[in-house]
Amino acid sequence: MLKFSSLVAAGLAVGLSFGANAGTLEDVKKRGMLSCGVSTGLAGFSQKDEKGEWSGLDVDVCKAVAAAVLGDASKVQYKPLTAKERFTALQSGEIDILSRNTTWTHTRDTSLGLNFAGVNYYDGQGFMVSKKLGVKSALELDGAAACIQAGTTTELNLADYFRANGMKYTAVTFDTSDQTRAGFESGRCDVLTSDQSQLYAIRIGLKDPDSAMVLPEVISKEPLGPVVRQGDDEWFNIAKWSLVAMIEAEFLGVDSANAADMKDNGKPAQKRLLGTEGDAGEKLGLSADWAYNIVSQVGNYGESFERNVGMGSPLKIARGINEQWNKGGFLYSPPIR
Amino acid sequence: MRVFKPQEAQPAPEETMGVAAWIRANLFSNVPNSIATIVILGLLASVLPGLIDWLFIQANWSGNTQADCTNDNGACWVFVSAWMQQFLYGSYPTEELWRVNTGLVALILVIAAPYALPKHLRNTVGVPLFLAYPFICAALLDGRLFGLEFVSTDYWGGFSLNIFLAAASIIIAFPLSFLWALGRRSDMPFIRSVCVVLIEFFRGVPVLALFFMGSVMLPLFFPEGTNVDKLLRVWIVLILFMSGYMAEVFRGGFQAIPQGQYEAADSLGLSYWQKTLLIIFPQVIKVSMPNILATFIMLFKNTTFLLIIGIFELLSTTQTALTNSNWLGGHAPEGYIFVAVVFWVCCFGMSMISANIEKKLDTSHRN
Repeated sequence: MLKFSSLVAAGLAVGLSFGANAGTLEDVKKRGMLSCGVSTGLAGFSQKDEKGEWSGLDVDVCKAVAAAVLGDASKVQYKPLTAKERFTALQSGEIDILSRNTTWTHTRDTSLGLNFAGVNYYDGQGFMVSKKLGVKSALELDGAAACIQAGTTTELNLADYFRANGMKYTAVTFDTSDQTRAGFESGRCDVLTSDQSQLYAIRIGLKDPDSAMVLPEVISKEPLGPVVRQGDDEWFNIAKWSLVAMIEAEFLGVDSANAADMKDNGKPAQKRLLGTEGDAGEKLGLSADWAYNIVSQVGNYGESFERNVGMGSPLKIARGINEQWNKGGFLYSPPIR
Repeated sequence: MRVFKPQEAQPAPEETMGVAAWIRANLFSNVPNSIATIVILGLLASVLPGLIDWLFIQANWSGNTQADCTNDNGACWVFVSAWMQQFLYGSYPTEELWRVNTGLVALILVIAAPYALPKHLRNTVGVPLFLAYPFICAALLDGRLFGLEFVSTDYWGGFSLNIFLAAASIIIAFPLSFLWALGRRSDMPFIRSVCVVLIEFFRGVPVLALFFMGSVMLPLFFPEGTNVDKLLRVWIVLILFMSGYMAEVFRGGFQAIPQGQYEAADSLGLSYWQKTLLIIFPQVIKVSMPNILATFIMLFKNTTFLLIIGIFELLSTTQTALTNSNWLGGHAPEGYIFVAVVFWVCCFGMSMISANIEKKLDTSHRN
């Protein structure tokens, strides 16, 4: 079914691509608003609060692009999309950029007329166990009963992992993540498995979050990142380098608090990023202070992470693989020069 | 002289009076009934106390954040009260909320107008107001036409959106479906086949599939750059879906009108439209009213399906609220109970109104 729908979408996208106009940047500037596709609600990634304000790690990518292009991170029109609609909305031009916890896969990148502009969160399937079990690694889970959500790739990954390690398990399947959590809580299984980012959200939902812990093993690759239409390289560059600027800013030690100071007194690399030296902005078709606007209004990647999903948020997700490369993570931004 | 002395009125026999008799007659009239009564009472007794305790007695009522829900054994109504504005109005700007409220009041006025207006004004004032309502209301919410601040449809939402979508769809579907029903009965083959195809298509395709078509497929057929607003697309889908159903309701109404009515109108020399509008239409409305209102209630509830295409009506706002990282405490029961109660109250209210309208329209000669 998934294959079929993506084929149809691809066919339609190809059929339409002759009509694709190459000027997303001009469109956005003319409109004065960035139209950004987000999730209808995913804790820490794109979520609405009681005031109707959007926040989250994915939402911050929208804000960063708006800050880079329009100089104002608040000039974003959020288009909440379901998983089924997201690619159509991008292909049809309803949104300028899609930042909706979308896994970068070969099929999506090659056959849907889309380009992935990078990775803003390295997700993957993980395990949550009750602390009472005293388990420290997923390899100690032989013979465990596992709570899973039915009909997801989670199920397949789990089977693969246990078979590869010569372990046995019993699957206890549920329909929704709420039910899965209730099952785990009532002790119907020893371990709950899902994408790591979800595990943390499920954990807070427990009556006593401290009674459970997330194991370090990650058994599948889910690189999540922003997506743009294929065929508009100028816009693709802007999306890609807006994300890079956030990561690079953290690497260079530039954050929202010291950006103004660094702009004039920083090291050469910091000045190049913030636009006081070099012509990085001009080459992107943006103003010289594009990255300064991102860092001062949205913050660097680390700030955004801590605020939305990290220790500054209820989710308390550890940086883990989403840490800079020199601190043991995967974040390795190309230099801005 | 013998005088007729009526006997003193006797009280009714003891066993047919009072509470005990009522209980015996209605709850314990025979063995199966008695067993059923005991089982049901037992079930209620086992469920109700806990439910009431959770819903009301131990519930957390006051506060603004999840931390205010200190009693884990009770419902966290703080969740509902904190999100109330989102639930009712979506992200519509707070300082512009008067526009939404005006729209809601206007809807009540438009519905009440036929009752309040004198008879001769009903057709000349009441009906045009009714038909113009969706457009005036949409323009008011949008704002540009009246020189107010522009509020994009991305910000519309909450329960008011359910109400507006349902009301605006049915009001436009009303004349449209009447025309479709007429067309289906027409002698002109082209018009008839077009109407049959339209009606059968929109009646035969599930509303979810229609929503998906409107939200996912339609945009691919438009040329790049011409974006028809998502809400507008959905609105059109709702109107057409509703028209398909109502056309069949009207067709049923047409068939219920005795042939003699048509012939009588013809023999008076009335034109087709005079006959249809003055003789047939009023009778069709009268016959079809229960079904029209039932269809409306169905459509009203169907607006919650919009959650699958990411429009923030009441149900999807609730789901969004449940995923906010500051409210991840498992408030799903409270949220869904709230949605259920809101919809039940509204639908029950509409049932009452519809019963009232039926009574008003009932001019038959039954005794």
